[in-house]
Amino acid sequence: MATTADQFQAHSEDHGHHDHDHKPAFFARWFMSTNHKDIGTMYLIFAIFAGIVGGAFSGMMRVELAEPGIQYLDTFARWFGATNPDFNSTLHTWNVLITAHGLIMVFFLVMPAIIGGFGNWFVPLMIGAPDMAFPRMNNISFWLTVAGFCSLLTSAFVPGGMGNGAGTGWTVYAPLSTYGSTGPAVDFGIFALHLAGAGSIMGAINFITTIFNMRAPGMTIHKMPLFVWSVLVTAFLLLLALPVLAAAITMLLTDRNFGTTFFDPAGGGDPILYQHLFWFFGHPEVYIMILPAFGIISQIVSTFSKKPVFGYLGMAYAMVAIGVVGFIVWAHHMYTTGLSVNTKMYFTAATMVIAVPTGVKIFSWIATMWGGSLEFKSPMVWALGFIFLFTVGGVTGVVLANGGVDDVLHDTYYVVAHFHYVLSLGAVTGLFAGFFYWFPKMSGRMHSELLSHIQFWVFFVGVNMIFFPMHFLGLQGMPRRYPDYAEAYTYWNQIATHGYEIMAVSILIWFVNIIYAFTAGKKAEDNYWGEGATTLEWTLSSPPPFHQYETLPVIESAGHH
Amino acid sequence: MSASQSRSNKRIAAVFATMALGMLALGFAAVPLYRIFCQVTGFAGTTQRVDEAQAATVKTQDKTISIRFDANVERGMDWEFKPLQVTDTVSIGARDMAIFWAKNDTDHAVTGTASFNVEPAYVGKYFNKIQCFCFTEQTLEAGQEARMPVLYYIDPAILDDDLAKDVEQITLSYTFHPSADSGVKALDRTGSGG
Amino acid sequence: MNFTRNARAVTRAAKAAGLALALFAAPQLAQAAPTPAGGDVSASVEAQTGAERMKAPDKGAEPAANAGNPIVPDVPTGDAAAAGSYTPMKPTPGVGMPVEGGIGLQDQYSELGEYGHWIHNAVLMPIITVISLLVLVLLIVIIVRYNKRANPVASKTSHNTLLEVVWTLLPVLILIGIAVPSIDLLAKQFKPAPKEALTIKITGNQWYWTYGYPDNGDFEVVSNMLNIPGAPVINNGIREVGSEPWDGPSHLEVDNRMVVPVGEPIRLQVTAADVIHSFAVPSLWFKLDAVPGRINEKTLFVEKPGVYYGQCSELCGAKHGYMPIAVEALPREQYNAWVMTHAGAQIDGQEPAPAAAAAAAPASEEAAPEADMTAAPEA
Repeated sequence: MATTADQFQAHSEDHGHHDHDHKPAFFARWFMSTNHKDIGTMYLIFAIFAGIVGGAFSGMMRVELAEPGIQYLDTFARWFGATNPDFNSTLHTWNVLITAHGLIMVFFLVMPAIIGGFGNWFVPLMIGAPDMAFPRMNNISFWLTVAGFCSLLTSAFVPGGMGNGAGTGWTVYAPLSTYGSTGPAVDFGIFALHLAGAGSIMGAINFITTIFNMRAPGMTIHKMPLFVWSVLVTAFLLLLALPVLAAAITMLLTDRNFGTTFFDPAGGGDPILYQHLFWFFGHPEVYIMILPAFGIISQIVSTFSKKPVFGYLGMAYAMVAIGVVGFIVWAHHMYTTGLSVNTKMYFTAATMVIAVPTGVKIFSWIATMWGGSLEFKSPMVWALGFIFLFTVGGVTGVVLANGGVDDVLHDTYYVVAHFHYVLSLGAVTGLFAGFFYWFPKMSGRMHSELLSHIQFWVFFVGVNMIFFPMHFLGLQGMPRRYPDYAEAYTYWNQIATHGYEIMAVSILIWFVNIIYAFTAGKKAEDNYWGEGATTLEWTLSSPPPFHQYETLPVIESAGHH
Repeated sequence: MSASQSRSNKRIAAVFATMALGMLALGFAAVPLYRIFCQVTGFAGTTQRVDEAQAATVKTQDKTISIRFDANVERGMDWEFKPLQVTDTVSIGARDMAIFWAKNDTDHAVTGTASFNVEPAYVGKYFNKIQCFCFTEQTLEAGQEARMPVLYYIDPAILDDDLAKDVEQITLSYTFHPSADSGVKALDRTGSGG
Repeated sequence: MNFTRNARAVTRAAKAAGLALALFAAPQLAQAAPTPAGGDVSASVEAQTGAERMKAPDKGAEPAANAGNPIVPDVPTGDAAAAGSYTPMKPTPGVGMPVEGGIGLQDQYSELGEYGHWIHNAVLMPIITVISLLVLVLLIVIIVRYNKRANPVASKTSHNTLLEVVWTLLPVLILIGIAVPSIDLLAKQFKPAPKEALTIKITGNQWYWTYGYPDNGDFEVVSNMLNIPGAPVINNGIREVGSEPWDGPSHLEVDNRMVVPVGEPIRLQVTAADVIHSFAVPSLWFKLDAVPGRINEKTLFVEKPGVYYGQCSELCGAKHGYMPIAVEALPREQYNAWVMTHAGAQIDGQEPAPAAAAAAAPASEEAAPEADMTAAPEA
């Protein structure tokens, strides 16, 4: 049985430079694109832009939280179009910031970058497909995501109750989001989720079809690179989870505008049901964000260890297991809503089960490196950082899984620390790892290894300074979503704000690196990482031809064990 | 790509699009399904509704249990609403009546609906209501007062439930909300503007 | 503010350790930092003086207490209570509130809180610290031993069934080890209160709490956060924090606290009048969502007199950050005296003979969980 992606022997005929490719003219190429690589590029550029907006929102939050009291919210309220904000609308602006930050980072940074960007770019390349199965639908997916982002930005500038913008939190809990928020802002926010969700569902169908039906001859399911596996599992999660969110927020919309009472106790509805539906989507959603990062890390660790991934099948099916179990643990987000004792015990046990396949992945990465001949090129350094930071985020998840312990930690900064360790420090570190791994492949230009290493260390110090103290704040009881706090919480909040400044510097270094690559970067070879990089994309030029695999590569069924 | 591949792509996509639509439908269906689930299993402290015939078959047990009554009114609805007894002790299996009292403090007729649950939540399946003002909407004219009865009994099966048999007091709670079609309902129902 | 000065001194040492140390030594510090011994002593001293202060006027309350109707009150009587008396307790710095620069859980003042605190500090923290350090050490070993210079030729090992079975089963065993106390804690938390237990009804509103006392004549206490000097007015007509000697920290102190008796199980029932709120008091290990249209119930058992602060823990709109919770736990007779300061109040029927029971340790209530433990602080 063939095990890992590195055993592929690609016989691709077409990796000459196709400068005579039939590239369409500018408008047709970028606005009516049907090319998976162009669409992937657009997703990445869009995600960077959205990330800057979402990151700016977090900067506004950190600066406000640097001291107790309200210092800057009044100014921010004016930025969102308030002329003379009263105190309530000033405070409402805080809720707008946290809501927009959460939604942007989840739906418009991580998902577009990791699935839309890297998924679109490399899934067809890695399985030897000429393009995605439905190139035009791919384009629609992208523009729906952009439209969703526009809708979300619009919501920040229209009335949403006490002030401009939707102040419901990214979870949009009823009834705060229904009769608790007047004005169209929440409707725009919900509409943004509809658009982005529809785009993602189409993308999921596209990925599933591509992976099931467009693999090159010899590329069996059990030979697919782990990144492709991760995108396949993610696509299924999207396909099954997002429609439930769509249904839930549609019902919010009708509760708000058409007098229905799906979640309104006045008409026999139950606000808790909304939470069940939201988290039935919401928990798989966190795996949607992290699984592709797992895939990227597997590729990188294998490449720079010059070894096949340890326990390939275990790694692939651990992701499947995480995906499946991810659908039956949702109510651990709802431990304090008044769940009964049996329900809490079940969800405590089920949630802890997830630690097992996650542990398998961590240990398999370590085993992959064990005995390897490691080269600490920039993607590898980011990957090592990912493994450690994700572990720290994962173990605090085990703490929170305990229903009885969650009673004191629920909705405190401990939770904020936990999910930023797995997402901000996990998924985003994975994104950077993937970026430096594939950037020369995508652009044809080498980035600066030195700048990338410096960025890693600055980023590592910065994010740990932001988020590690949040564990302390949470243990001490500081609730999340607070613009103001008791004096006792000042010290660690100040540290976190300084951490943000350091993190921001690391992002500047990244931009410098990108500019450097495009202006002075060396031209990238086909396989610039050398012998360890064995997946199909390395058989192509950098950047790959506009249309690759005009003759499909054949994967030899060598490498039996 | 070849025509045959394009066809099989479309077939696969159709299967998974159907799956997505199925999940969408399930999302909406969750509302009635959740209600039925709660009604059948007593989940989230949902009480059971029984008719006279079923109630007549129940045998009264020696053991008693204390019932507490709790009444709330949603903010923005100008009613007074309280139980006329804070607690009551009943024999398990015996039917008992509790009276709530409500008064419309506005100068116009208001229709309300009561939502309800019991705590501890896991005794919901043993709390049987034969008659209740919460089964229907209640309309009170301007300034009108009304006594609102609940006829209920505790299912003796509670004594066989390891978790529920140690419960010494069950709280039955009601919250009155302005009815959806009473005209009071609006986004800004809480009057707080936000 | 003078109030936080003590807490500041307590945690200066922890802060001096610096962030870099704290990042890696967090679990050890978390267990060491909050100096429970010192905190406890001052807490009980504070409680003593508080009790002393209130003893005298409380005498008058006793007849009323004796006359307390053992049968459940019907409708509010409307008689003005003549015998009540109450001076709010001055909180002890560092007790029932966050401490400056603190890095661990708040000290716990309920039995289940101590249990949960133990699970976190003695079970979960060591395990997660060891796992994180194990991964870190393995990474460092790999970096040192298997870099290109040290190991030019990579091995081709990609399987080891035994290893894979071990790292699947070992976490399972660890998780079972965690689950045992964790599930036990859950079971204890859901032990229903006995039927005589005092019931307090908590309602979340945008943006304040109300506390109803149905067993004490159904009076209601409205609790607003105190305004902060120099900051915009948050609650109109409410005084500023620090204007009374018993005021606790800003952002946490309220005008009317939720007063509860100490040393007996209390049935807390939580609901909301508008949107979802969450009633949370970290030092009592208590958090329960207030959901409109239903009640949620949980038992609270406070072991020591004191003031315990908490904050709304579910996003509920603009002033979500400004609806704190202050629970003042008093010995039974002082609680009764507080009750009698309210119009229409009456003492609930289930207390033991007030003259005999020193401070309401309900040894006679067989339903009180582990009465020996809970009675200790009062004995």
